[in-house]
Amino acid sequence: MNVRPLEFRTARSTAEATALWAEVPDAYYLAGGTDLLIQMRLGRRSPARLIDLKRIPGLSAIEVRGDGALSIGACVPLGVIAAHPEVRARYPLLAECCLAVGSYPVRNRATMAGNVCNASPAADTAAALLALEAAVEASGPNGDVVLPLAGFFQGPGKTVLPAGALVTALVLPAKAAGCRGSFHRLSRRRGVDLATLGVLVGRHAAGGAGAHRVVLTAVAPTPLRVPAAEALLDRQGAAAAAQAAEAARAACKPIDDVRGTAQYRREMVGVLVARAAAALG
Amino acid sequence: MTQRITVRVNGIPETAEVAPDRTLLTFLREDLDLTGAKEGCNEGECGACVVLVDRKPINACLMLAVEADGREVVTIEGLAKDGVLHPLQRKFLEHQALQCGFCTPGMILTTLGLLAENPSPSEGEVRRALSGNLCRCTGYRQILDAVQDAAAELRGTGKGAAR
Amino acid sequence: MSDKPTRWVGTEVPRVDGLEKVTGAARYTGDLKFPRMLHAVVVRSPHAHARVRDVRLEQAARVPGVRAVACGKDFPFHVGIYLKDQTVFATDRVRYVGDPVAAVAAETPEAAREAAARVEVDYEPLPVILDVADGMAPGATLVHPDLGSYECVPWITPKGGSNVCNHLKVRKGDYEAALRRCAHVVERSFSVPQVQHVPIEGHISVARMDGAGKLEVYTSAQSPFTVRHLLSACFKLPHGDVRVVVPHVGGGFGGKAGINLEPIAAALAMKARGRWVRVLVDRSEEFYAVVVRQGLEATLVTGVDKQGKVLAQKLLYLWNCGGYGGYGVNVVRAAGYTCGGAYEFPNLWGDSIGVYTNRPVGSAYRGFGMQEIHWALEQQMTMVAQEIGMDPVEFRLRNCLGPGKSTVTGQVLDEHSGRIDLCIRKVAEELGWGDGRKEPNRGRGIACAVKAPAMPNDAASSVLLKFCEDGMLEVLISGIDIGQGLKTVAAQFAAEALDLPFDKVRVRGLPDTDLSPYDWQTVASRQTWATGNAVLRAAENCKQQLLGMASRAFDAPASRLRLANGTVLDPETGRSLPFERLVMGYQFDDGHTIGGPVAAAASFIPEGLIFLDPETSQSPKPVAKWTFGAQGVEVRVDPETGQFTVERIVGCYDVGKVVHPSLIRGQTYGGMIQGLGTGVMEELLLDPQTGRPRNASLTDYKIPTTEDIPEKLEAHFVETPQADGPLGARGVGEHTMIPTPAAISDALFDACGIRVTRMPITAEKVRAALQAKKKEQPTP
Repeated sequence: MNVRPLEFRTARSTAEATALWAEVPDAYYLAGGTDLLIQMRLGRRSPARLIDLKRIPGLSAIEVRGDGALSIGACVPLGVIAAHPEVRARYPLLAECCLAVGSYPVRNRATMAGNVCNASPAADTAAALLALEAAVEASGPNGDVVLPLAGFFQGPGKTVLPAGALVTALVLPAKAAGCRGSFHRLSRRRGVDLATLGVLVGRHAAGGAGAHRVVLTAVAPTPLRVPAAEALLDRQGAAAAAQAAEAARAACKPIDDVRGTAQYRREMVGVLVARAAAALG
Repeated sequence: MTQRITVRVNGIPETAEVAPDRTLLTFLREDLDLTGAKEGCNEGECGACVVLVDRKPINACLMLAVEADGREVVTIEGLAKDGVLHPLQRKFLEHQALQCGFCTPGMILTTLGLLAENPSPSEGEVRRALSGNLCRCTGYRQILDAVQDAAAELRGTGKGAAR
Repeated sequence: MSDKPTRWVGTEVPRVDGLEKVTGAARYTGDLKFPRMLHAVVVRSPHAHARVRDVRLEQAARVPGVRAVACGKDFPFHVGIYLKDQTVFATDRVRYVGDPVAAVAAETPEAAREAAARVEVDYEPLPVILDVADGMAPGATLVHPDLGSYECVPWITPKGGSNVCNHLKVRKGDYEAALRRCAHVVERSFSVPQVQHVPIEGHISVARMDGAGKLEVYTSAQSPFTVRHLLSACFKLPHGDVRVVVPHVGGGFGGKAGINLEPIAAALAMKARGRWVRVLVDRSEEFYAVVVRQGLEATLVTGVDKQGKVLAQKLLYLWNCGGYGGYGVNVVRAAGYTCGGAYEFPNLWGDSIGVYTNRPVGSAYRGFGMQEIHWALEQQMTMVAQEIGMDPVEFRLRNCLGPGKSTVTGQVLDEHSGRIDLCIRKVAEELGWGDGRKEPNRGRGIACAVKAPAMPNDAASSVLLKFCEDGMLEVLISGIDIGQGLKTVAAQFAAEALDLPFDKVRVRGLPDTDLSPYDWQTVASRQTWATGNAVLRAAENCKQQLLGMASRAFDAPASRLRLANGTVLDPETGRSLPFERLVMGYQFDDGHTIGGPVAAAASFIPEGLIFLDPETSQSPKPVAKWTFGAQGVEVRVDPETGQFTVERIVGCYDVGKVVHPSLIRGQTYGGMIQGLGTGVMEELLLDPQTGRPRNASLTDYKIPTTEDIPEKLEAHFVETPQADGPLGARGVGEHTMIPTPAAISDALFDACGIRVTRMPITAEKVRAALQAKKKEQPTP
């Protein structure tokens, strides 16, 4: 399948994984593999070495940390995240976004870390992660880094993750628990489809200034927060739904592709933001 | 360069030397001659290759054989025991839930995974779980009926629950 | 046809190939193992239209592990079922992106890929034609400059020196004069894009030519004998030296009719004698490199009188056939002689024209042109009804065909032809049509369907019946069970005619042309009818053999004996003989024997078909039968997003006789959902400049999933017996997907007053139509 001889290595620790990465050119980390294997088959990526992360202790765990933050290991499949009681109780928007990705069998392999590292403008989980102000924790040849999700995406397929770094966990801060709202997406069909566009509108439990989140997917080179729309909702709540929608329309930079036109996407950003904002009550 | 793996397939430990880029699907179909899992798209979109790995339905085209080392795999060939069909297989027959049959193994195994997690799914939950398994023949109606009937039987509330 | 109560036909017998399909035992072509099989890769054109100046295979042949390389120079042979306009590999030019130029076969897939990459092709790009309008324009670049010299069947009329690969003219009554008498005239245009069949099993063929020169082909195909015939013609081999075997087939829908990858596999096999060569397309190539459904641009003019009777009807169907029309030319023809759909048009001017372009190759697709023309015609009928303020159902009933009415070719239907009126009424009743219910953004729509088997007049089937020693009957057929349940149906007819327990029948339906009886093709919704008839005839022959032997065994007149549940019974004496005592010949107590193994072959060929008149297409019986039906749908629209939900589809078809209730429901539901898919989400998108596919993957070409089907699917049937149908049955496999898109479009109009005339009806188009409507009628 791969266009050149491939070596498969199983890492038992993050240190071993990063060392294995540094040994040869064109080494790739492997978590769920649901995108990487397709890329390999299409010849778009041709790794010389795959480093399987799934047997590294801890990377497959979901844990509440001492500060109340929830850490989701890089190798936890989306299906497990969506069904996890802590996620469902404290971060229901994340569960919703996880379930929007792929199909049931795909979600049994695909990981949220993979979804984020692919940096697709249409990444569904990015909507919730941005709204919840998650952080990416990574280990690399030059040590560990913590990268806020805000600013993580640089463009389609591009992130600020340092070369050779592997994501170990996505961490949801305790203060984001209880953030409520809804994730609306339009797609060409109802079952298993990439989003033509996605809109998440949420409100953090603390309320007040800075409580609202408006995140758009598939309408810009990266998943996009719209601070102007958030500020409107902070000030006037659902009464500002129409203005927030307008702000979101103005902020998005959609393109034409096989899933829809830029014009439709922009109009629908308005419709969906207005709906989601109104639903906040 | 190959790698030695041992995978328990339908209850039988299978040890083999495989190339690292061999998918689980190719391993099952070509090395073990278990051709019930089908290659429909090789991109995880059609579900014809779904098998259970550690009891979870997965697309065998999106998993490497080496990743299955030490794991438990169930394919369609492993469902019937001593010639007695699994209730899900029987219900697919009773409801005409198949036509050309190419999607059937994947459809049955995805359903099996669902019913293990959720023995009483609503129609909406069944539709959601099966939406990654494409069928071009049936229009799905009889599949959805078969799944509900099988779920009832497996819960012990359906007709002919004794098995 | 008989009113006798049936024991097996019409009942819920188990599907005979079900067990092997739910256990994974069923083997499809790709599941078979062939010793030391070679892997092929086809080199396909990246250009939609180009002259091929040179193909160089030397570098490819040098790749280690390569066993065969082939290109057009090696096999400059034409192939095609009706119009021989295609070669195995491009010779002088390529005509669509994906056109095969060369192929290699190697010991490993990797070596084959490597070699394919080293095939050097020198292309000179030519102007690309993607639309029929460009293809029909005066002075248009010719896709087939040699069209005038191609071989074709006499009932296809390619026009040399143009891009027209077939043109059927239908002329009935006096259209112009009638139009002048009309109170209202409606003219509208409609279009349908190219779509793909998307069988879950893609195309695959495996071939070997052995040392003695015999060519064997295992292939996923709908027509083993047609494959054999066309391979023999192409490579100039005696039919007897070509063997075609069809294992289980994972869906066809017309895409595996005729001939597809088999010639490429055969060509490589001839170059690597003694080795098996496997050729397949990956999922991406499945979308454009093999066949698709033609596109259609339709313009309709309808004139009606004040009472709502259509007096004048004009139809122009321009078919986008793509680069080759080998099979598609017959879609053009079928659309011509069926151009008026389910209606009687006394004065009609119809033209169905096939146009070459540089798109993927149009071919057979479930419905054979009928869904496309009904998309236009059925919407048009509703618009005409609305124009004169008449209820669309009433309008349809006033103009539809029926016994005593005359089709566009002048055929007068009789009482055995099926009843569209009953189907319309049933669907209308189920939908609650006319009950005055009107909720905002909800709507209902109804559309009709008709189709005849589009096939040569001499398309025939034959079967062979023989027995096992234990009295079990074996039925050999060469129709393919592509999922429709043909094997089960054949078993039902056989068990019925021989009064056998159902489990005493085995249908051998994975045909091998060396061993199996001839069958033309599994297409055209013809198998239940054609193979069913042949099975009944062969069973009758076996029955006479059994009765004859038993008559001598019992010393009783055969006329007194009857078959009873696997025995021959003398009702007068009560004596009986089980089949196992007779099927290998009967032996008397003293040891002498009579008879011999019971076996019979029988055939069916449609009778009384008359060619169309070349100028007017008039014919008293152009086709073997018609099947009529109607579908109704209910939709709910979200006007802000344009997203809509088809909540219910109700179908009713006049099938003559329901042979198997749940199988025919399955056919109906499956067709409705395939109809829904093409209606609302499917379209093969090409780059408008280069003609390269933009959505050739299941990621971007979507077909319906479990989450996309309506809450309610309902199937109803009318049983007006077909005079020449087995126990009155007629075909319905394709018809179930014909009316769905038009019915959805009508329902959307009913819901929110918009009409989408370019399939598919996407949310974005609905939204745009709603916006346009708002601009037209600004709210006060």
